[in-house]
Amino acid sequence: MSEKNHRVSRRQFLTYTLTGVGGFMAAGMLAPMVRMALDPALEAAGDSEFVSVGLSEDEVSEEPQRVDFSIELDDGWYSSEQSRSAWVLREGNEILALSPICTHLGCTVNWGTNEENPEEFFCPCHFGRFERDGTNIPGTPPTRPLDVYEVEVRDGMIYLGQINQRG
Amino acid sequence: MRWNENDAKTYQSAKEYVDTAIIPLLPVAGGKEQEEAVRMGEFTSYLTDFLERQYTGRVYLLPPFTYLKEESTEDRLERLKTWTEHFKNQGFSHFLYVTSDSRWRQADARDLGELVWIPAFSLAEMDTNKRQQSIEQQAQQIIPLMTEKWS
Repeated sequence: MSEKNHRVSRRQFLTYTLTGVGGFMAAGMLAPMVRMALDPALEAAGDSEFVSVGLSEDEVSEEPQRVDFSIELDDGWYSSEQSRSAWVLREGNEILALSPICTHLGCTVNWGTNEENPEEFFCPCHFGRFERDGTNIPGTPPTRPLDVYEVEVRDGMIYLGQINQRG
Repeated sequence: MRWNENDAKTYQSAKEYVDTAIIPLLPVAGGKEQEEAVRMGEFTSYLTDFLERQYTGRVYLLPPFTYLKEESTEDRLERLKTWTEHFKNQGFSHFLYVTSDSRWRQADARDLGELVWIPAFSLAEMDTNKRQQSIEQQAQQIIPLMTEKWS
């Protein structure tokens, strides 16, 4: 090959450099936009983290029992531990973990604390009642069943995930 | 309900269900007595936070009522009365005051509402679970005072 073919004209040099630099700048601007559009997809993995509640599968009976555990929460720069509770019980072949938050206005419900209805969840605030599987009892303030945690059994131990609404 | 915008909105739409106000009574002091005042304040807010979480739908946790240590009992009571009157006019019918400051024991607040005095202990060294348990234990003493008014 002759020397001549390798020579780059001033015009070509400028085109190459400008395209190159421009390309970098465009990429720099586009990357955050693409990331932002994809962000929810990237974060979804963090939401479904499961936490052990220190209860084994065979300890779960038909009688609801309360478990307390804590999860790590990030709020802006501030990361904190938040305590959560659940009522864990066996319903047929399934394990059910009910959230103790009353679906009326958010008070904490308890199992069997109402003397007249010992086999129910009871909300002390406005006397809301729920059946053993969390179904709200008509005629009391709550309008939907108690929320449920996602349940996973790993090596015989109960792990709870995010809270989902039913009904 | 807590003192934030979201809860304030919920409150507006569910006013008839929220009839109880919780007011923490917190002493404020600098210098030598600061540490004690801080401990009381921290303890009281953990306690009232717990109560609020258990009974969100029926109680409103108002911002703490603060006072300097040298403010006289009569003055404090007078101011507290003004607060109570204000919220009574806004539809609250039960008032619960929670404090660790023993000087409220002499104050006669019977016509204002229920005044509960719980001695503070330090929570700084405890881990989350231990703290949660001890707060719950203390709160169990207050809860009946509040709920028996409801039925």
